[in-house]
Amino acid sequence: MEKVEVPRELREEARKHDMYLHPIDKDTYELFFGPQHMATENFSIILKMDGNRVEKAIVNPGFLHRGFEKLAEQRPYFTNIALLLRICVPESDVPENIYSMAVDEIIGWEVPERAIWIRNVVLEMARLSAWMFWIMGFGNEIGLYTPGQWAVAYRERFLRLFEELTGGRVYHIYTVPGGVRRDIPGDHWLRQLRDTVEYLKSKLKDFDEILFDNYITFERTEGVGVMDRKFALKHAVTGPNLRATGVPYDVRKDDPYYLYDQLDFEIPVLKEGDSLARVLVRRYEIEQDLYILEQLLDMGPPSGPYMVKDPKLKNLPRFKVPKGDAYAHVESTKGDFGAYVVSDGTHKPYRVHVRGPSQSHGVTVLEELLRGARLADVPVILKTLDNCPPDIDR
Amino acid sequence: MDMNEKPKVEEKAEEVAEAPRLPNTKEGRLVKAILEKAPYAEGSIRRERRVEFKVPADRIHEFLEVASEKFEILIQITTVDWLKEGEFELVYQLWSVSESVHAFVRTRIPRENAEMPTVMDIWPVAETYEREAHEFFGIIFKGNPRLGPFILEPREYEKHPFRKDFNMIGYVKMIYGEDFDRYDESKTNYVI
Repeated sequence: MEKVEVPRELREEARKHDMYLHPIDKDTYELFFGPQHMATENFSIILKMDGNRVEKAIVNPGFLHRGFEKLAEQRPYFTNIALLLRICVPESDVPENIYSMAVDEIIGWEVPERAIWIRNVVLEMARLSAWMFWIMGFGNEIGLYTPGQWAVAYRERFLRLFEELTGGRVYHIYTVPGGVRRDIPGDHWLRQLRDTVEYLKSKLKDFDEILFDNYITFERTEGVGVMDRKFALKHAVTGPNLRATGVPYDVRKDDPYYLYDQLDFEIPVLKEGDSLARVLVRRYEIEQDLYILEQLLDMGPPSGPYMVKDPKLKNLPRFKVPKGDAYAHVESTKGDFGAYVVSDGTHKPYRVHVRGPSQSHGVTVLEELLRGARLADVPVILKTLDNCPPDIDR
Repeated sequence: MDMNEKPKVEEKAEEVAEAPRLPNTKEGRLVKAILEKAPYAEGSIRRERRVEFKVPADRIHEFLEVASEKFEILIQITTVDWLKEGEFELVYQLWSVSESVHAFVRTRIPRENAEMPTVMDIWPVAETYEREAHEFFGIIFKGNPRLGPFILEPREYEKHPFRKDFNMIGYVKMIYGEDFDRYDESKTNYVI
């Protein structure tokens, strides 16, 4: 490429002041990556490029800010479920559950066993459908479109099950403080769920052949976006991204909720810390999640009520919660997802603060990992970190 | 037998003398170890795997430096606006990977000209959390170089919408006028 003749002193002076908006020479320019790019999902990164290399990346979030935390302070406790679940789009059951768990803890309710079993099954189904969605996103970024189309078709099976259980496909508004809103529709639903799990299990080897054990995947991800264990801990990276650096931290094992302390499953851990390790950790987790769902189905739903019995529940809009605060968190496919709820004794929460995992791995970590990467690797790093912009904006 | 019994008695006596209210669980030992290094803080156990510390605002950086040896991850920094008391409560939430314990570190600062030292040097991720707290509540974190418009639009910067005294409905009416006016069925209450 031909270079424009610019005196060297001038160029150095401009770099000192971070001036890249107007190209100084033909190789240095500022690139707005997203929000219209498929990989970024309503999120934007300003890349300062030197040729094909990223010299500096600045994350520019805010396209999805809807002020959920502020709105939650204006609404009654039960109405907030329909609002807060929109914080995590691909697995909307996670915000429902953390909020309900925190409110349960403040009130001191003992959620019935049947409700806990249903909540646990719903969370695992949400994880699996989110994994399927991730396979589509990741496959598309490296040019493998077929596994994505399969994955979305398999996700559809879970969405149908969700629709029969909750009435909604993507947003369920199902888990509420004290239990769940409806009972399981019947034994046929459990049979369908088992069929789906077995079907997906038989299809995993197809994904291996075409995506996880593919030469293209290895070429595109090996050694890209490497972070080590110390860096990941200091930057509060959680979930599969942390486990790919060799730290076996999983909320389901370390701070068990629901039935996870009775279930038998493993935490896949790899040490490399690059994009390939992050992809493979996710591959092993899909297998573990299928195994967990199978165990839950073997256990069977305990009999009993699916909602706490409390006379105060008759007047939901005026339902008051005692003074107190609680923090609850679950393991989502993106990482450690938590909610901190403060109550001042009225019928509206005083403060709700949601901790999305992308808040930590989608801002500073992303900026660090993108430095020095090739332009073509930017979507790969984004997708292997599994960045979810609504977590950051909220 | 005598050899074995003697040290046991001594251990019990020590526990009673030093920290009578902390049980000999992993949470109790953790709180005790931190309070020995930071005697100015108050520590307590909320329940299994949940502990709590109360620290004066001027010593928060010192305390978090001590705590970071045991707690590797800074989960989040929550700001709670206590309007009646005229104070912001900052809750630093930590997670210990090695011990599997979650900790609240609470401190209170006055609402007027709220200032805190940054903890970016201990956990670099604090940069993001502090930017958010600065934008929504107007707290200035000294030493954080990136305070400024982050999630909100530039025109909303320095309005600090998450403060309790921010007039949300008034702001919506001002920005959107009558285009988005909505009332409930009885036409008396304005709803957003």
